Amino acid sequence: MNTLRLLPLELGRLLKSRLTRIIVLLTVCSPIAGLILYKPASASTMLSVYLANPAIAGGVAGGILFALLTVFEWDRVGRSRTDALIDAAVSPLIMALTRLLAVLAAAALTLGLTMLVWLPVSVKFIGSVFDGADYVLAYLIFMGLALPLSILAAACAYQFTRRTDLTLVLYAAFAALSLTVWADDWQLCWLNPCVWALSDDFSNYRIFRSAAYMRLTWLAALSGIWTISYLCIRQYGKGLPTSFLHSARKLYRPFLALLLLACSVTAYAAQPLVDDSNPDLTAMTFYEVPYAEGLICTGRSAQVFPDTSAGTVSGTATFHFQNTSGQEQAAAFGINPGYDVSSVQANGTNTPFSVSSYQEYNEAMLEVSIPSEGQVDLTIEYGGFPQESSGMASMQGGAEISTEYLCLENAELSPRLLNVLPDENMYPTVIEITLPSSMTVIPFGTSEAQVVAEHNDGTKTWRYESNSTGGILYAGDYIREDIEAGGITIELYYGRRHQSVMEAAGAADAVKAVVDYCTEHYGPLSFGTGGTLKLIQSRVTGGGYATNGASLLDEADFTADNLSDTGKGGAAGEVMIHELVHQWWGLGNMFDTADGTTPWSAEGLTVYTTYRIVKELYGQSYAQEHYIEQWRQAADDYYLNFYVRNPEYLESLPTDKQLEITNSLAYVRQYCEMPLKILKAEQLVGGEEAMDQILYNLFNRELDLTYPYLTYQDFLDACGLTEEELNLDENISL
Amino acid sequence: MKIFRYECRRLLWNKFFFGLLMVLLFYGWQILNNITILGVSHTAPFSPQSFGDYLCRMIPLLWIGALFFLTFFTSGKARRTAALTDAAPIRPQIYALIRCGAALTGTALLACLCLAEAAVFYSHYFRWHAWGSLLLPAAVTLIPSLVFALGSGWLLGRIRQWLVYVWMPLPFVLQALPLPAALGIWNC
Repeated sequence: MNTLRLLPLELGRLLKSRLTRIIVLLTVCSPIAGLILYKPASASTMLSVYLANPAIAGGVAGGILFALLTVFEWDRVGRSRTDALIDAAVSPLIMALTRLLAVLAAAALTLGLTMLVWLPVSVKFIGSVFDGADYVLAYLIFMGLALPLSILAAACAYQFTRRTDLTLVLYAAFAALSLTVWADDWQLCWLNPCVWALSDDFSNYRIFRSAAYMRLTWLAALSGIWTISYLCIRQYGKGLPTSFLHSARKLYRPFLALLLLACSVTAYAAQPLVDDSNPDLTAMTFYEVPYAEGLICTGRSAQVFPDTSAGTVSGTATFHFQNTSGQEQAAAFGINPGYDVSSVQANGTNTPFSVSSYQEYNEAMLEVSIPSEGQVDLTIEYGGFPQESSGMASMQGGAEISTEYLCLENAELSPRLLNVLPDENMYPTVIEITLPSSMTVIPFGTSEAQVVAEHNDGTKTWRYESNSTGGILYAGDYIREDIEAGGITIELYYGRRHQSVMEAAGAADAVKAVVDYCTEHYGPLSFGTGGTLKLIQSRVTGGGYATNGASLLDEADFTADNLSDTGKGGAAGEVMIHELVHQWWGLGNMFDTADGTTPWSAEGLTVYTTYRIVKELYGQSYAQEHYIEQWRQAADDYYLNFYVRNPEYLESLPTDKQLEITNSLAYVRQYCEMPLKILKAEQLVGGEEAMDQILYNLFNRELDLTYPYLTYQDFLDACGLTEEELNLDENISL
Repeated sequence: MKIFRYECRRLLWNKFFFGLLMVLLFYGWQILNNITILGVSHTAPFSPQSFGDYLCRMIPLLWIGALFFLTFFTSGKARRTAALTDAAPIRPQIYALIRCGAALTGTALLACLCLAEAAVFYSHYFRWHAWGSLLLPAAVTLIPSLVFALGSGWLLGRIRQWLVYVWMPLPFVLQALPLPAALGIWNC
């Protein structure tokens, strides 16, 4: 008898079994756990809450249920003591393979049934931002692939041990590791993929690719281990080693096992999604590269060609140098670690280059030899699949490249020059990018992009000019709404899918309220000619950033749930407010970031100002509960932290653990301790009006051009206070 | 004494025990290296609070292990030999007590090895050796829960064999449920 003939019989028997039907029913119902109990996706977008969480919970619960079914089925013959009869009729190897395929088929049918049942439920909950492709991919990848992994894991364990008890323990430990200890390691959490958010307004192919890659890596690994356990299936009354040797005589079997294991190990080690950046965030060696002597950059340009279906980027970057040293020089560039440099030419001739294996802040270093000629045009051809920073490995998805959305930051867009000074014109830059015609290109800054060419393949080439060594670019199916506030024109860009929600909630009015508040309290922003500020709704990021002339808004700030939350007064999300306020504190007034150990940064005043705005919008008690109490709790935790009180023990930890702790402590100091100190200063100087006047004077002070930064001492001097007066006691009470 | 030694050997000298031990030690090391090392409630990793947290996280696997030891005695195979064992010149209650004792010994051995693992971890990273201060948290955390596991498992096993298996995922179910603060101790 062969597997193909036995499979339909075994599948039929399995589906008629009462236990199987109970397991199927429970699996179909299991996504409900993602709505109530188990919510790993922490973002507040509709797809995160009503699609990702149910799908992941369904995968976890369904995986565990099918593992139990697997163990029950594999033990059935031994339990009924008919193994001698069955083994005489059918080879145990064929039977094992048949059983596996039958259970996998049952799991596939269950998945199909689950997707059918939950489709109308998801459409109802998600509303206008529901997308069929996202629905299918989420259930297939987050839930569907969990089932075969669980089945293989349980089958392996049983085939090795032939004991139900030990199999259950092994599986329980394997599942518990994924759910607890490995939950934040995106490559190890086989049962519960690291998905923190799904975008409502834009595509999610990056996070789907990441989860699928992890699942397929584990599929190869568990298939390889299953194949080895398959060889260990006891035959002819032999023990494990003899059965293994007997089964391995057909060389293709152990070869297949080794091949699968090799594939999984290679896939794990050579994963293309996340880089290997130095986790020490205080290491900034790329900024310490000495400037090349006698070498000046007079301008640069780049032609960028994203492949929106593959999620890759290719491009050609050209740099114009003047070399007055008369010698060869080395120019250094930061490049995304996922990119390959295919050629570097200086004045049309190939020139030596190397890319470092050391990575920092999501960049690798490209070093190029600049010849001794006076004028050098350096052309770099680069391309590949951009990698995200390892520090954000558990929050992937930001480097999305698709026909709906694109975000290319700095070295993802074009190699970033590190060690060559500019002339008096700084770094004049021309960027051309070719994208599908449905996408609008938005440079993140004061530049405006124009269409310079339309092509027959449905693409357009956009062109814009800027002046920097880096640059950030967004593109997508955006709608633009212009708002007049604070004496400037605000260009609000948001995704077309979100239009109805934004209009219904009056998002533009919310933006106006924030800009008017800051202008009234601290003074107007100054952007030179044009006086425009771009507000760009990005794909869900969990935060945001700002630069001169542009702020990022997280789409999670504008979900239907968020905007209809009457507890927040129906105004816009606080992350949006925070990022807008950075136009005043961080950009309008700059802060020196050289010392990573001080709590003084743009975040302190920005968080404080956000608190003041939220207090005005949502009321005193809301602001007290969600800001002051949160800062107090975090600062208390910081002062009580064991490693803060006993730094000598920190040094005895492994380096990665040291960095994990110090990075989290730095965040608390900047985002919680400092706003608390500013709040204390407000009380000491005489209240909110007095503090507003102090901040107004600081914002509009005359700058020292040799050191234009706003320092902590500047703040203390303006308040007439000392550092000791703003110290927070351990039992913090204000 | 002979019967007790025999039952201990039956329980502990087999693939299941060594497999369970490997799983416990691996899982325990992952917890120590990823969670306990950061300290709990602002205390040192080697404080009674952090140590207690580590033990709480190990209890689900120790619970499963303890109940699996009982399945050696409540399984169908064991029931079928009851006719023979009941004929032995020993009171059934004493025999049951001896079996419980063997299960308790196996569970205690697993628990001691988890404690030893923590001791090695603290010694290796922090050169800390004040084990005496951790005896009380270990006793308070482990003894009640594991004795309860054995007692309740024994009772359930006498009613129906499969009830022991149903009882096994209890700690995981309690972890997943959003229990009120008053029952927080069950939520470890």
